[in-house]
Amino acid sequence: MRFFNFHLMPYPSLPKDYDGPAWITCPNELFDPAVGQEAYNRYLDELIYSEELGFDGVCVNEHHQNAYGTMPSPNLMAAILARQTKRVKIAVVGNALPLYDPPTRVAEEYAMIDNISGGRLIAGFVIGGGPEYYSFSINPALGREKFYEAHDIILKAWTEPGPQEYIGKHYKLRFLNTWPRPVQQPHPEIWIPGAGSLETMEFVAKHRYGYMGIPYFHIDVFDRTFKLFRDACEREGYTYDPKQAGWLTPIYVADTDEEARRQYEEHFWYFVKRLLPGINVNPPGYTSLRSMESILKGIGTFAINLKSWDEVEAGHYAIVGSPRTVLEKLEGDLARLGTGNLLGLFQLGTLPADLTRRNMELFAHEVMPKLRERFPEGEPMLSTTEGVA
Amino acid sequence: MAAVVTDFVSTNVGNVQVRRGGDGNPLVYLHSSAGEGEGLALFDELAARHAVIAPMFPGFGDSEGIEQIDDMEDVVFHLLDLFDRLQLVAPAIMGLSLGGWMAAELATRYPERVANLILVNPAGLYIEGAEIKDIFSRSPSEMAADLFADQSHPMAQMMRQMDRTMADSAALSAIPFELIKPQLKAMAATARLAWNPYLHNPKLRKRLGRISSPTMVVRGAQDTLIPAAHAQTYAKEIPDAKLVEVLNAAHLISVERPTELAAIVNDFLGR
Repeated sequence: MRFFNFHLMPYPSLPKDYDGPAWITCPNELFDPAVGQEAYNRYLDELIYSEELGFDGVCVNEHHQNAYGTMPSPNLMAAILARQTKRVKIAVVGNALPLYDPPTRVAEEYAMIDNISGGRLIAGFVIGGGPEYYSFSINPALGREKFYEAHDIILKAWTEPGPQEYIGKHYKLRFLNTWPRPVQQPHPEIWIPGAGSLETMEFVAKHRYGYMGIPYFHIDVFDRTFKLFRDACEREGYTYDPKQAGWLTPIYVADTDEEARRQYEEHFWYFVKRLLPGINVNPPGYTSLRSMESILKGIGTFAINLKSWDEVEAGHYAIVGSPRTVLEKLEGDLARLGTGNLLGLFQLGTLPADLTRRNMELFAHEVMPKLRERFPEGEPMLSTTEGVA
Repeated sequence: MAAVVTDFVSTNVGNVQVRRGGDGNPLVYLHSSAGEGEGLALFDELAARHAVIAPMFPGFGDSEGIEQIDDMEDVVFHLLDLFDRLQLVAPAIMGLSLGGWMAAELATRYPERVANLILVNPAGLYIEGAEIKDIFSRSPSEMAADLFADQSHPMAQMMRQMDRTMADSAALSAIPFELIKPQLKAMAATARLAWNPYLHNPKLRKRLGRISSPTMVVRGAQDTLIPAAHAQTYAKEIPDAKLVEVLNAAHLISVERPTELAAIVNDFLGR
């Protein structure tokens, strides 16, 4: 099992009287640079602290024009982390490829991060969230086509000697010859997050990349998603490696279950009720019909619909409690999902710095070591009979 | 009354669904992004006087090939191909909204392939200060207010019901997928053609002077989706075009006012 601290870097100070979406049209007047200045530096400190606590890696991601996650350029954050950490993997999950034109820039910046960090980059590629297609006026019906082409360009740039030519439908590059080249050869580990699109799973399975399940659904939906992913791997003629699967989930540990809920709940609700609204737009053509049919089955369980803490607990939308409770829940869930990477959101919504650090510490000291014992890296996590079914 | 029948025609991008009925001079109907066609009373009214040919554009209905069409250039070549296969040398062409835009693109490029042009609440232009309202992110009930003059129209009522369903994701999960599939397909196809630039071609306006066929621009008086300036601009830029306003009609005239629209079209086409 590998453990990652995933930070969204949320905007923690939406005014109380603002009840609109946190995406696309959330007025940028609401962004207070004084808050931003403090938050960015504090959030970076939290990620850097993960190394000292023994995490295997840190994760940043890309979102635009929103209050949910204030990293329009995760590569800037990764560059800082590359200098300020020495050991942890730096996972950028990921760059939204259709938003880069030409996508050569992703190959370049990722290679820079890999060089500066001495080969610690995990390179994430995303199609971009639904809202981003509005925020950048990118055609959602062409997003997937562009994603595949951009992927091919980046891999070609990293693995084949240049100068070379790439002539595709969306990008025509007469001189593809990126400097620098990545330290990790033939290329850094590649992760692709997904919210249940069958095409994404099939693409990841085909290339033997990592599939990171996007959170905020009922645990049963994750169960189904990872089952679909394992099936996609089987159809490619191999059994998935747990290292290829990652589960992203909010985690909060305190001394007791009661204290955990008392300290955490309001910050969780800020996240659900203030930062999620607007994330769930699905622009036309963004999702294929067959994936839409599949995704709609689980849509009712999206966290935005949550009404009570009981529902949060029952659906494992966040793993909250004493070290013992959190350990038990995670053991059960990980054994069920079979994911060899745990991507924890240890800061969520308005969770303040002191509680975030205490959460990370309790997790790292009292939960992580036991999970490492229970799920040794490189060993199968599911009983073999299930995988072949 | 002439029966309208549906069959498939093989084209450059795949099989395309075409509704046909009636005798007389050919009249091609190009639908809007709503993908209207099935059971459209307008076709029966028009087929009484003309040979109506109503193709479903690729990506709409059961027509194939949208993945091969990215822009108006591809749209025009597809329509030319379809006309050739149906042996339509120069039919009358009428189009609603997105279909009107397509008709205008064809007529500016190949004016000799168009006998008469009828643009009904056409999209296709950008007019500063009179922008086309958003169709890609507003709720069905907001859209219904723009599409129908009479909000008690069954389709307007259905759209408002859809709002309530979408607000309740449990209800959304429970809808048979086949029911929402046509709408998802229609909007995906529309996005492909009209996401950015949004529902217009910046070069179209300057080309409108090339249109040589007798042209009528029809506007629903209560169309709040596309402001009046659009129909007025088309009528001004296309040589000798006439502008007709239909009262008690909004954007989806073909659906809401089939009898009135057919009468205007039949009158214009002189039969």
